[in-house]
Amino acid sequence: MNTSVSRQSPPDSALIIQCRVVHALVMRDVKSRYGGRRLGFLWALIEPLMMIGVFIGIFHLMGRSTQGGIPAPLFFVAAFTPFFMFRDIFSNVMMCIKGSNPLLMFPQVARTDIILSSVIVDILVSLAVFFLLLLGCVILGFEFTIDRPLEILFSLALLIGLGVGLGLVLGALTIRYEFVSSVSQAFLGRPLFLTSGLFFTADVIPAQARDYLLLNPVLQGIEAVRSAMFTQFESRYVDYTYVFLFAVVMIAFGLMLMNFFERQRH
Amino acid sequence: MIALQNVTKTYGIGAQQHRVLDNISFSFPYRKSVGILGANGAGKSTLIRIIGGAEKPDSGRVVRTSRLSWPMGFAGGFQRTMTGRENARFVARIYGADFRNVESKAIEFSELGRYFDRPLGSYSAGMRARFAMAVSYALDFDYYLIDEALETGDARLREKFRQIFKERRQTSSVILVSHNEQTIRRNCDVAAVLTGGKLRYFEDIDDAFLLYRKVLLRSNAA
Repeated sequence: MNTSVSRQSPPDSALIIQCRVVHALVMRDVKSRYGGRRLGFLWALIEPLMMIGVFIGIFHLMGRSTQGGIPAPLFFVAAFTPFFMFRDIFSNVMMCIKGSNPLLMFPQVARTDIILSSVIVDILVSLAVFFLLLLGCVILGFEFTIDRPLEILFSLALLIGLGVGLGLVLGALTIRYEFVSSVSQAFLGRPLFLTSGLFFTADVIPAQARDYLLLNPVLQGIEAVRSAMFTQFESRYVDYTYVFLFAVVMIAFGLMLMNFFERQRH
Repeated sequence: MIALQNVTKTYGIGAQQHRVLDNISFSFPYRKSVGILGANGAGKSTLIRIIGGAEKPDSGRVVRTSRLSWPMGFAGGFQRTMTGRENARFVARIYGADFRNVESKAIEFSELGRYFDRPLGSYSAGMRARFAMAVSYALDFDYYLIDEALETGDARLREKFRQIFKERRQTSSVILVSHNEQTIRRNCDVAAVLTGGKLRYFEDIDDAFLLYRKVLLRSNAA
């Protein structure tokens, strides 16, 4: 057939194109999320701040102290921020898969690029929020030292993996079974919020219930973050292999499902 | 190069399965305008979506090593809360083009003036179409993908569009899908007919129309 030479310089490799696309999508995502509003990025701080404030207030009124001798603000910041990161990644990944996305009209934009860039933005924003809230704690006099930075990063990575995996699986199922979306919102959001150890540690769960609740990898992830951050607290209930495998299997399974259902999409 | 390699696409499940594209392999000629003819429901729009990457084939792959446009006339991929400039910059980035160059060309060609720095949501439909066209003009594609069914806008816009293609046909390739004989004859050098899941290519447009008429007669009779 046709063999004439293109006037362009040699075509860019697939990897370079993908990097370019993801970079462009990240910039676009940040701008469309935080660029248009007057307070912009401040909104990302408001939700965790409010939640943490409410729980500090509740604990104070009930005269309860947080476990492990961790000051309340640090106790909550170390749990809510990673949890919101997990939740945002999970729901945004799901949203990226759900509908037909107009960005797909661009030949070089693939759905995986859209998912990847949304995850990157969520991670960057969450880390910034995490850093600012911890800085706030220090300024208020709740000091702490970070002894094991790599473990903190690893624990956060586990939560990121869980968010991506869960989002992929449920998002892919939504392509075929629309009710999955609403069902997962109703039955996953609240229960996960209540059982993931945001305002308690696994220690205080009654022994009979603990084994069951520990099946929830997010609870273990939050425990892991707290253990890595605070010298005075060391959870005995984190099974890193379990959480890691959970995330990896979910991601692999999710990608497989997505590939499978993608073909049936109209 | 833009090429289809063993591309197959099937819609529906079980007994109602309909194979729209059946193991198509085709390399789009360089610097030629290809018209793709097909009866309604023959799968022309599916073909455009697959070439443009908006949809994945069941099997086979699409090679895109040249700079390929998105389906012209379709402005849905632009973000309405972002300004014209920001959208132009985004598109320039994904195509790896110099965005200052793209911006300045797009401003000039779109004639949007200060609206270029307003959110796309505040544009009229005509302005949005003008914007999309100006950006595609500024990007200087190797291949332009046009689904005639999507082509919108007023007469002046269409005239301007026509001018571009007259000019660009010297340096670029066009893949145009239409069921309008006039459109194909006016804009294309060669043609292919999409029928029964296969793409039949003709160097001579008249030969393509010969087959196309036969196909239409058959489908009308059935």
